[in-house]
Amino acid sequence: MSKSDPEFPPPGTPGAPEILDLRSRQIDYSRPLPGTYLTTGVRAARGYRFSKFCMSLMDLNKREALKADPEEFMAEAGLSDYERQLVRDRDWNGMLRYGTSTFMVLKLSNALGVGQNRTGAAMRGQTYEEFMATRNVKEAS
Amino acid sequence: MSGKGRIVGGLGSSHAPSIAVALNTGKDQTAQWKPLFDGYQPMIRWLEEKKPDVIVLIANDHANTFFFDKYPCFALGVAPVHEIADEGWGRWPFEPVPGHPEFAWQLAHSLVDDEFDIAVCQEMPLDHGFLTPLACTFPPERRWQVPVVPIVVNVLQPPIPSARRCFKLGQAIRRAVEAYPKDLRVAMFGTGGLSHQLSGERYGFNNNEWDHQFLQLVETDPERIARMTHQELMEMGGADGVEIIMWMVMRGALSNVVACKHRNYYHPMVTGFAQMILEEPNDGLGRLAQAAE
Repeated sequence: MSKSDPEFPPPGTPGAPEILDLRSRQIDYSRPLPGTYLTTGVRAARGYRFSKFCMSLMDLNKREALKADPEEFMAEAGLSDYERQLVRDRDWNGMLRYGTSTFMVLKLSNALGVGQNRTGAAMRGQTYEEFMATRNVKEAS
Repeated sequence: MSGKGRIVGGLGSSHAPSIAVALNTGKDQTAQWKPLFDGYQPMIRWLEEKKPDVIVLIANDHANTFFFDKYPCFALGVAPVHEIADEGWGRWPFEPVPGHPEFAWQLAHSLVDDEFDIAVCQEMPLDHGFLTPLACTFPPERRWQVPVVPIVVNVLQPPIPSARRCFKLGQAIRRAVEAYPKDLRVAMFGTGGLSHQLSGERYGFNNNEWDHQFLQLVETDPERIARMTHQELMEMGGADGVEIIMWMVMRGALSNVVACKHRNYYHPMVTGFAQMILEEPNDGLGRLAQAAE
């Protein structure tokens, strides 16, 4: 997906702010893992507001408010246009790239009624059935 | 002579919310789940035989106990009772878990004296990371017969402690146990892993070969794992497979040479599930017995 958050254009693009992206010596950034969006402290901080939004959904009342009127709920939570679009698009990988923790994405997808393996299948770009066909034992998720 | 704490062995087990669901919906004897739950039987028997006075249980939070407003690298539960976390769909139907404040404070003092500045917590509700290994090793009729001192390790948000650091934490826990002035039988219990990844196009990644290699190494050559970076652990076992650093806390507390009494592996869906018993020599008096010779 090529869209980017106007508040946080990817590093290197015109107008992008200089970000000192402090990194872990435990990760070899020259050998990126395929299909994996490892966050750094700085990226996690960027995703903090969105993570807080996901975390609020631990509360049943909040989950019901999201279900009843997602646009109203997202506006009240103060999400940016970019963040709202991530939710509208169910763009799980976009959320990860944005700096959202895996477990925050899973809390959000659960609140939107999408189970973990359905979320995972979508992250892989597969249907749920296609994904399940790759597993050893069904119904032991 | 006054008493003394000793470590009688270490257990290892994966954790997953689906295990609690299977347990609580009576699916543990179905064809899909039996190979997993059978793997806990030797652990149930081992705990009955070894009769530990306390279990040091190491797991990670899944943003149910802590949130990123404050996220400790290591946290220790010192309360007399540990509440059950609400993971967003109501509390798991488990009774609160008894703690062991006296020993927990010994750990707190000793670890900080030993340069492990662990966050000390009075209110640290436990999520499935702790509860699934515990519920599988303490079936309903024995629940919860042994007090638990929980230790949380951050594996969610960088910076995450290294495998080496976790191994050293285990070694520091052993020093704390051996400095405890009363008779106390301690069992270590590391949880998490093995290979799995819950994010990105690599969702569902597993590596059975690496999982078996890990189980061999954690028994016989944990130093090899301690040398691995997160990068290497994630390449081998998936992004969330890095959870095996919590087995390294358990292993670090044990002697160099231990006896593997049980090992089980089952990979039904998205996680390589494993269980293991590593027993200390001479009922935890191995080192003393040697010194007396």
